[in-house]
Amino acid sequence: MSATLADDELLITRTFDAPASLMFSLWSDVNHFQKWMGPEGFECPNMEMDFRVGGEYRGMIRSEKYGDTWFGGVYREIDPPKRLVFTWMWDTGPAAEVETLVTIQFREEADGRTTMTFHQSPFASVERRDSHVGGWTSLFNKLAAYAAKQQEQRV
Amino acid sequence: MQTTDPLSTTLAALADPTRRAILERLSRGPASVSEIAEPFDISLPAVSKHLKVLENAGLISRGREAQWRPCQLEADALKRVDDWLEHYRRFWTGSFDKMDAYIAKLKKEKRK
Repeated sequence: MSATLADDELLITRTFDAPASLMFSLWSDVNHFQKWMGPEGFECPNMEMDFRVGGEYRGMIRSEKYGDTWFGGVYREIDPPKRLVFTWMWDTGPAAEVETLVTIQFREEADGRTTMTFHQSPFASVERRDSHVGGWTSLFNKLAAYAAKQQEQRV
Repeated sequence: MQTTDPLSTTLAALADPTRRAILERLSRGPASVSEIAEPFDISLPAVSKHLKVLENAGLISRGREAQWRPCQLEADALKRVDDWLEHYRRFWTGSFDKMDAYIAKLKKEKRK
């Protein structure tokens, strides 16, 4: 079990003790999905999914501290058990109303465990995300360095 | 199309490859409009339009000198984008912790 967080973009790579087929169904099967959705202290009492390319999903997570938060999106690519792409947007809260694109890849290892690579970018259009002119990752590297430099200058 | 949420405005401004390339240029230091326009195959008015979007989004500021109005990056808007990514990082990492625990539970049930 390992968790790696890149400093400069939302890329999470993590290995789970499960085959790729199960990993995929944790995202595609609503009964599975509701069991893990949301961090500690949250539950997912509502979730509806139309699991097909172009189909929509909509759900809600609930916590005592933050109340109910709704989210939703559209499935863009479905390639079981290897790849899943969908848009994601919160209705409310600090990150609301910015459509993002989530790309998840599953790679089953020889020992039967599966490495899940989770990528989320604020650009819901694949064309934009994959554009070679000034990609999000390299830009963010530079901007982060710039912001750090600004901080230093203020101190 | 106008939105009051500053983060949405910032991210919308970032969602264009030319504007991202302009920001990359400015991450190397302040520059004038003609310096910014140089590597691009687009007109000065087109570049000015992109700069206006970036300025409205708070991502850049322009100097006040009438002749040479250098553009420079604004760190505060970048901080908002960073906070936004951090929010998602925490959310998904927490959810994947629960995913891990759920997988362990499924395995245990299967063994019974």
